[in-house]
Amino acid sequence: MDQLVNLGRETEMLEAMGLSSIDELFSDIPESIRRMDRLPLRGPQSEEEIWADAQRLLGANQNLDSRPSFLGAGLARNFVPTMVGMLATRGEFLTAYTPYQPEVSQGMLQAMWEFQTMVSELVGLPVANVSMYDASTAAAEAITCAVRVKGRKAEQKGVVYVSQFVPPHRLSVIENYTQGGGIELRMLTHGWDGRVDLEAAAVAAGACAVYVEQPNAFGELDEGLLRLKEIIGEGTALIVGVDVVSLGIVEAPGNWGADIVVGEGQPFGIGPTAGGPIYGLYACGREYLRQMPGRIVGQTVDEDGKLAYTLTLSTREQHIRRHRATSNICSNETLIALMGAMHMALLGPEGLEKLALRVAATTEATKQAVCAIDGVDLVDPGTPNFRDFAVKLPAQAADAVTHMDASGVLGGFDMGEWWDSMSTCLLIGCDERTSKSDIEALVKALGAWIAEVEA
Amino acid sequence: MSDLFEFNGAEAAGWAQPEPMSTDAIETVPEALRRASRPAWPRASEPELVRHYTWLSTRNFGIDTGFYPLGSCTMKHNPRLNERIVNLPGIDRLHPLQPEHQIQGLLAIFYEMQEMLEICSGMDQVTLQPVAGAQGEFTAMRCVQEYHRECGQGQRNKVIVPDSAHGTNPASAVMCGYEVLEIPSGTDGRLDLGALRAAVGEDTAAMMVTNPNTLGIFEPEIVEAAEIVHSAGGQMYYDGANFNAILGKTDPGRMGFDAVHYNLHKTFSQPHGGGGPGSGPIGVKSHLAQYLPTPLVDREEVADGGAVEDGYRYFWRTPEKSIGKVQQWHGNSGAVVRAWAFYRRYGRELEKMSEHAVLAANYLRYRIMNPKEGTKVHAMPLDGAPADVVKHEFTLSMSPLKDAVGITGKDVAKRLLDYGYMSPTLYFPMIVPECLMIEPTETESKEVLDRFAEDFLKILGEDPEIVSTAPHTTLVRRVDEVGAARNLVLRHPLSDD
Repeated sequence: MDQLVNLGRETEMLEAMGLSSIDELFSDIPESIRRMDRLPLRGPQSEEEIWADAQRLLGANQNLDSRPSFLGAGLARNFVPTMVGMLATRGEFLTAYTPYQPEVSQGMLQAMWEFQTMVSELVGLPVANVSMYDASTAAAEAITCAVRVKGRKAEQKGVVYVSQFVPPHRLSVIENYTQGGGIELRMLTHGWDGRVDLEAAAVAAGACAVYVEQPNAFGELDEGLLRLKEIIGEGTALIVGVDVVSLGIVEAPGNWGADIVVGEGQPFGIGPTAGGPIYGLYACGREYLRQMPGRIVGQTVDEDGKLAYTLTLSTREQHIRRHRATSNICSNETLIALMGAMHMALLGPEGLEKLALRVAATTEATKQAVCAIDGVDLVDPGTPNFRDFAVKLPAQAADAVTHMDASGVLGGFDMGEWWDSMSTCLLIGCDERTSKSDIEALVKALGAWIAEVEA
Repeated sequence: MSDLFEFNGAEAAGWAQPEPMSTDAIETVPEALRRASRPAWPRASEPELVRHYTWLSTRNFGIDTGFYPLGSCTMKHNPRLNERIVNLPGIDRLHPLQPEHQIQGLLAIFYEMQEMLEICSGMDQVTLQPVAGAQGEFTAMRCVQEYHRECGQGQRNKVIVPDSAHGTNPASAVMCGYEVLEIPSGTDGRLDLGALRAAVGEDTAAMMVTNPNTLGIFEPEIVEAAEIVHSAGGQMYYDGANFNAILGKTDPGRMGFDAVHYNLHKTFSQPHGGGGPGSGPIGVKSHLAQYLPTPLVDREEVADGGAVEDGYRYFWRTPEKSIGKVQQWHGNSGAVVRAWAFYRRYGRELEKMSEHAVLAANYLRYRIMNPKEGTKVHAMPLDGAPADVVKHEFTLSMSPLKDAVGITGKDVAKRLLDYGYMSPTLYFPMIVPECLMIEPTETESKEVLDRFAEDFLKILGEDPEIVSTAPHTTLVRRVDEVGAARNLVLRHPLSDD
């Protein structure tokens, strides 16, 4: 209630208009549909009381930093530089809306143009937008964009091949976004070793697009993907989903044939935040520019020839093009992208590489330690991993997770929740903050469970 | 420093991190896959970047800077408590896949929000998953689509929208695979039931409409419109962008709607953040509930009091015939928590929020349309549509000014920037010529509204040359948007080849 600045001045304002009651302002609502009773809700609270309740409720949650945690599966238990939150929440950024009036929005416009540049550099493609909702909608809208661009000439009309190892929750988003456009999703198969089956991939030549992830759902890096573009050909768009941090040491997909690169931006800029707000990266080649979704900032000049920034190519967008728009996206994740830009700028090129090496190092150390436990085997031995790796257990992974949880370790993700056939597989996620003692705690907890299971 | 890429310090300088756990980590990446050259990111230190981003922030206008009457966007004050709350580790440091028993506090907040939105909208089940209003529209239309298919009504392939609808409505319908049938509004800017009757048929899947409409006017015949659509076998979808106008006064359920989205970033003060994040939960009537995205939050009574000591255990539940997912996790949880904190300030008094939003809009409209004696203007604006009262926003046509002295709506919008205001929404809805759409919200004081009305009228009387070349006092003057689209410079040319 303390947000109402004119509380107590209602009569004064009404009288100025020649009205005598608030009810008159709602007289246009037919009586038959007017609510006569009060909303059956709780009473208003003060800031102090809300803060106390928030602390009590959110304090009842067990946060990732309170225990050894190996839950990755697409989000990173990162460390966000302190500067990021402090500057991004400056009111001029926080409380602005889409910069429709460039004359008074140069700050955010420039920050987003710089963001576009850093994303472009990161993935090796010339164009990036200012964000999608998350990695899944970025992937989904990359597919619909690719079909618009490649569809006319494609031999396999409306067909898009999607990697078998895209996690089901992401695939579900893709299915929802593509079902209306006459797009047929087919599976791009992987071999026994987890890698894309390059021989089988030849069937995708002539399709509209291929979507693969590097690393895949098991955290596996696949050098075979370097040959994929050559196999599917120029007429088929190659869309690659990435772990953004891995690109500090793994080659940018734009440099090995990707036409569109998407990914989860979250590791740069914001904590996992129970899954949102996070942001999707979206970058592409010039061929896709006029069919891409989302906001784009361009550099230009003002009337006096002074350097200026503005939203551009808006004629693709829903507020201009309506039902012919390339996407329905309006609100996006700009503020989180701004936080990402700040984080990227703080890292710099060397810092990014170091961050990637830190993740690579903890992944390898955890993998070695876990695989040394009797009864634990890698799902795909001999495959390099980044951030996540999957192991086979002697019994149900769900049981292992519960058991480890009881000893204070968040030991990973039960892959049976994704694929029924993988109910004995555990996905273990690492990050730059994984410590030696975390790994020891994991090994101890997992070992204890196995001892119990095998006893 | 004028741009980020001018920072190019030494390789060794910059933000410090701990060393990697081992020195040979690069060996984990197959040689062929290793990155050949680093991205040309800036090399900057915290002191430099704090200054850079602070400088950029000073070149940006937000609600905190001044009055932001951007119609349709509900630019209300964003309480700072909400930002403090989402920094708590109990939300910032949560993973959506954590076991339910570890996140009972979050689930309790989700449940409370689902229930509150259901009550406020007259719907039976809410999902918090969609992360923006447009995604909410898309999600709801997907549920409608599956419902029709399930009922053997898969031939229903058309969605009706009024020509005053938000652009996201037709765009969302098309993304589901629907054809859009746009019907003209009546001359009074309201729904034309005759046009609606002529449009519905066996191919009607749904009608998407907002009420109050985009002119800020309550649709008096909404119940009749719903009857027309329903009797043709279609569903009614409520675009909740204008929900701020009606809380506690009426609700989409009473109006006859089957599905609705809410914009937590409008009505419930999630900050707009320069374009996002948003949050666009949807609510549906029971016949659509089984199609909602997975998961929803449910609860059961427990004897031990539960983790948050309210007598319940909370858990995720998958609706029977769920369409699956529209965001890969549970939506923008952080935005939901902010909205929860906002809701708690009002509780059952949310009605007062709408009363004050509507009071402010009517007051401002009155002040503009009834100038003090002696006020000189070239021409007065016209009401976008005739109405005794408006709801939370109103539209003005600047056509008379254009006819009289050649000043356009855009000119007035740009001149307002010189006076320290954000421009109203410009040239929308398209059915009003030279349209300005003004929404003050409940968090602007009478003094601000008085001053804005005075300044607005003053502009209408100013030298047309000054107005048509505005803005004059901003950091940059009118920006060459045509040039920006012709000569695309979409990134720094650093290593662009």
